[in-house]
Amino acid sequence: MSLSRVAVKAALAASITLALAGASSANEIKGKVSVQGIKSAENIAVYVDVIADKKFDAPSEHVVIDQRKMAFLPHVVAVQQGTTVDFLNSDPVGHNVYWPSISGNKKLSHNLGTWPKGDKKPFQFNDLGVASLLCNVHPEMSGYVVVVPTPYSAVTDKDGNFDIKNIPAGKYTLKTWSEDGKPTTQAVDVSAASTSVELMVKK
Amino acid sequence: MKRRVVNSSVMASLSGVVVVLLLMLASVPKTSAIPAFSRKYQTSCTTCHNNYPELNDFGEVFKKNGFKFPKDDETFVKEPPVLLGAKAQKEAFPGAVYPGEIPGFLPIAFRYSGNFNWNTKRPEPLQATAFTPETDLFVPNTFTIISAGSFGENLAFWIDNDISTGGTGAGGGLGDGYLRYNDIGHAFGLPKNAFNVRFGQFELDLPFTQARSIYPSAYDVFSETAVAQGPTCGGAVTVCQTTQNPFILGTPQRGIEFGGYPNNGNFTWSVAVVDGTNSAYGLGPALTARNTKDVYIRVSQRFNLERDPESRNAIQAAGPTGPRDHTSIRLGAFYYHGQNQLNYGSTQYTFLGTIGEPFYRAGGDLRFKYRKMELFGAGMVGHDNNHTVDTIAQTIVPARAVTYTGGFAGTNFWIYPWLITYMRYDFVNSPTDFANGVSEYRTRNRYSPGFQVLVRANIKVIGEYQYHWGQPYTDPTTGNTLFFRPNSFVSGIDYVF
Repeated sequence: MSLSRVAVKAALAASITLALAGASSANEIKGKVSVQGIKSAENIAVYVDVIADKKFDAPSEHVVIDQRKMAFLPHVVAVQQGTTVDFLNSDPVGHNVYWPSISGNKKLSHNLGTWPKGDKKPFQFNDLGVASLLCNVHPEMSGYVVVVPTPYSAVTDKDGNFDIKNIPAGKYTLKTWSEDGKPTTQAVDVSAASTSVELMVKK
Repeated sequence: MKRRVVNSSVMASLSGVVVVLLLMLASVPKTSAIPAFSRKYQTSCTTCHNNYPELNDFGEVFKKNGFKFPKDDETFVKEPPVLLGAKAQKEAFPGAVYPGEIPGFLPIAFRYSGNFNWNTKRPEPLQATAFTPETDLFVPNTFTIISAGSFGENLAFWIDNDISTGGTGAGGGLGDGYLRYNDIGHAFGLPKNAFNVRFGQFELDLPFTQARSIYPSAYDVFSETAVAQGPTCGGAVTVCQTTQNPFILGTPQRGIEFGGYPNNGNFTWSVAVVDGTNSAYGLGPALTARNTKDVYIRVSQRFNLERDPESRNAIQAAGPTGPRDHTSIRLGAFYYHGQNQLNYGSTQYTFLGTIGEPFYRAGGDLRFKYRKMELFGAGMVGHDNNHTVDTIAQTIVPARAVTYTGGFAGTNFWIYPWLITYMRYDFVNSPTDFANGVSEYRTRNRYSPGFQVLVRANIKVIGEYQYHWGQPYTDPTTGNTLFFRPNSFVSGIDYVF
């Protein structure tokens, strides 16, 4: 075999290898959450649980939760442990943000106080669990920050659909959190570029 | 001999109240019952009320703004109004009816309150003539219909009517029923809300509302009438004094009121021209109409004591745990001038025509708010011109005026946002009432400690003890005048939806 043919084959093999490597980190889990006994499949957090021997650095990008027209928007966010959430006030009325606990642990309660329209206050969520966001003067306001162990998470749309992107191939445990339903767990094997999953959340 | 003020009946009742409270607080069902404004904005009562019907700072601004959010109201409305004309019709006016709007849903709320009453055992001679039971369940029962809202940018309305189902409050009737045009001063280049007008039937701009008070008992001085000393002429009585003025400051009046809230609402003023006839509101007898009109004037200035300028200028102060009422002191003064008229058609004194007796009520008030505490008080003086009539000589001459002073002071304290305690002191000093045997002493004192529990944002349990002044009665055996204190304890439920 001539040197040129060897070089071409090596280049081709390298390209294929690189392509495969890229494809393995560009996998996604697409799915749909169905519900039973619950009003809506919207705003259900779906996330990959702890991966053994895998640590993730806290993301530098902040997540924003706004207070607009007397509501927390979005209603539910799923963030990786260590993420900083910026709480923005877009209303011309006074609000505040506090949570009485994180997953029932009252020692992790926190009150961010009050800030005027246009300002925001950050908070870094370093503890796993769910923070129920409340406002002192508008008790009907409700939101949730679901702090999960991995960067692989999503929140369902109004039809219960979700899409977790950029997840490497492998076997994982998928979990759900719902405001009104019980948590669910399902094993998932991400082997193809897109893996489909059907989940059921019950009351 | 010391009287046992709290007896076993009261303890049993208190125990029952505590049990009910614990049960209601322990269960957390979801409720969808909300009054008219809550429905309109899909927000809790606590947005505007710190202990309904008392308003917090935001609620006061909301009310002054014609029952609308002070800024960007349209963005908060969840129940859009029905437009009675496209906005462009404004340009077509006067060739077209000026466009307005009505609430998209029927803006009606309901309120029920019913109290358990415990009363000091009355002396037998009193029971023989006017029986008062020691305990009375759910009296007065009051069912109120309230409708309020806005008809567009500048028009606001309020109607409330008590429909009692029984008890001493069974008179019921229309409380407030008015239409208000906000910011009419804009047409004259005045600052926003510096000049508004409302007309209809309404509670006067009192320093402390009587109609929408959180207390089950009225302010004594606001309920005071002016009655001259001694019996009226008739039979053996040929010389008497004339003043018999049943006017009550705390009852709704019919008329027109001009007012405003410039300077961010820190300064308020109002001038009302009213008929001066009490409404049939169950708090006092209705007066027949008269030709004269009365005038009521009030001014007040709130001094906002917040140090942070941004917090001071905001509708609510920024607290470390959320928005709260501003630390503030409000000082005010009020004056009412009217003319009572007697002897219409010479029915009482045939030798005289209509007797006009000018009167006035004047006073000042203070309210201090600091964090979870509120201190308040008002003082007032009443003055009625008076005459002496001699039916034999057929003469009438001026007599010493009927005067009285009075007031109240109190404090409310929020132990928790849902648990409020208070203490109030009322006093009325009326020489003619004393001379007429209304009380043991010239000054009638009443002490009223109480509590209120917001079981939910729209449901509360209340309790108030009233330690009354001594009232006279005649011992049938000796003919002596004795005194007893008609103390009472009131506890009950109050809910709105």
